Amino acid sequence: MFARQRDVSLVRHLNREVMGNVITQQCALYQYKLEETKVNIYGEAAAEKFYNGPFLFNVLINRSSQQYPEDAEGIQFQQAIDFYFLRDDLVDANVVPNVGDIVLYQEGYYGVQSTVGNQYWSGKNPDYPNNDSDGKPNPLNPNLQLFGTNLSILVSTYYIPADKVAISPFKERF
Amino acid sequence: MNIPIYDGNPIWNPNATAFGFYNNDIEFQLDCIKVSRFITTRLGYPLMDVELQTSSIFTAFEEAITMYGNELYAYLIRENVLDLTGLPYANLDLTETIISPNFETIIRLSEQYGEEAGVGGNVTWYKGSIPLTSSVQDYDLKVWAKDQGITGSIEIKRVFFQEPIPASARYLAPFDGFGFGGVAAAGLMDMGGFGGAGGFLMMPLNYDMQVIQSIEMNTQIRLSNYSFEVHNNIIRIFPIPASNEGTYNCNCGNLWFEYIKRQERIESSVECAEGLISNVSNMPYQNPVYSLINSVGRQWIFEMTLAICKEILGYVRGKYSTVPIPNSEMTLNQADLLSAATAEKTALLERLRAYFDETSRANMLERKVREQDAVLRELDQVPRVIYIG
Repeated sequence: MFARQRDVSLVRHLNREVMGNVITQQCALYQYKLEETKVNIYGEAAAEKFYNGPFLFNVLINRSSQQYPEDAEGIQFQQAIDFYFLRDDLVDANVVPNVGDIVLYQEGYYGVQSTVGNQYWSGKNPDYPNNDSDGKPNPLNPNLQLFGTNLSILVSTYYIPADKVAISPFKERF
Repeated sequence: MNIPIYDGNPIWNPNATAFGFYNNDIEFQLDCIKVSRFITTRLGYPLMDVELQTSSIFTAFEEAITMYGNELYAYLIRENVLDLTGLPYANLDLTETIISPNFETIIRLSEQYGEEAGVGGNVTWYKGSIPLTSSVQDYDLKVWAKDQGITGSIEIKRVFFQEPIPASARYLAPFDGFGFGGVAAAGLMDMGGFGGAGGFLMMPLNYDMQVIQSIEMNTQIRLSNYSFEVHNNIIRIFPIPASNEGTYNCNCGNLWFEYIKRQERIESSVECAEGLISNVSNMPYQNPVYSLINSVGRQWIFEMTLAICKEILGYVRGKYSTVPIPNSEMTLNQADLLSAATAEKTALLERLRAYFDETSRANMLERKVREQDAVLRELDQVPRVIYIG
């Protein structure tokens, strides 16, 4: 039997080993607390924004080159980075990356502009076993929830200057 | 589902071994822990994860001990199969015994030759006779067997016929003054076989032998040679029987012979051996006692355990040629593990078998002879002093 949950467990071990002990790229995720952030009539948070976290994760990173475009304000800095999270790490931490969250990576802040969860091992997402609407197992292939895994979450980000984020340890604000 | 892997803290668990052959051995329990640390360290832990559980290592350890025992006892079985075949196996454990060689099986194996040579064997020889008829040379044994109510084939083993008197027993002019012949030669009358009263010249033995050969060759060539042939169940008698009185119609006596029933020769090959050791599979060797295995054997077992664990790990890592990681995939070292495990297992087995072969009874005796030769050569270097009295 292939891609059963026992195999998924092995894959999870291997991923955590290679991401945590071999590659060891880490980032911190700040989750935007929408309910505590006051916005104006335009939906802008002119005042403070509140975040949960940081949550530290081992990730795989695909960095694009730094760019330095010029505009009316002078020379700017831009860099887009894709962070690949092991989805099981996020599940264990009870964290769901969303647009608007902030990723801290190497002293730089990166705003989340999109998230993609599309890497299904063995081509199958166990969250959708195609059971009947009343909960009865799929008559053609029962127990499909035991096969495959939704492996990763791609978080695409863009660079945000630190002064615009204004994230700092809570104590320093007093 | 989260299947735990080795965490660096092996704990003895009697349910972890597949067969539990050695679970009651305290040293086995202790070595399970040590072997787990040894194996995982050799496989990269704690720098790298080892996707095994302690139960996998315990089972590999148990398998390695059993392999060692199998090789050892297979060697002992080969060494002693001839000495043990036929022994009752009930309540017998050869694991800790010393076996001395015996000839029983060798003799049983050679019974067939004895049977063919007429000096033993396990096939009954029967005696039969055919009345001879004057001037009739051929007699049908098949008809005779049928008349006797014998079913199946028979084989003539011996035919009794009148042979010429041996030269050594003939009465050949003992008074010629020279050593051989007649009553004297036969050792009768206490004359010792050296001629009659005419002379007591002792001749060389080779002379006696030449005289015997000359006399018997004369008999064989010049006189009727009593013999027979058997072809296609017909026995042909030489010379043609004739009546003692010289008439062809008289009774010429019987031709006596010994024969076997060929079916009995086949049946003699099979012996019911219920309850007896009959082949290598029911020789009562058990698994070895781990605590009695010395350091040489244990080190072999440790290395074999490592090879088996490499094999297991290779299969674990090799179920999928590539393993997915976020946005990519990776290839593990299953090929290296499997090739290394195969090579190491083969080398270990060859090493162990060579070691056992070197200590076989035959090799030890040969070694002893070489040692003795060497000692003698060494002693030859010592000057021999000649004492003159």
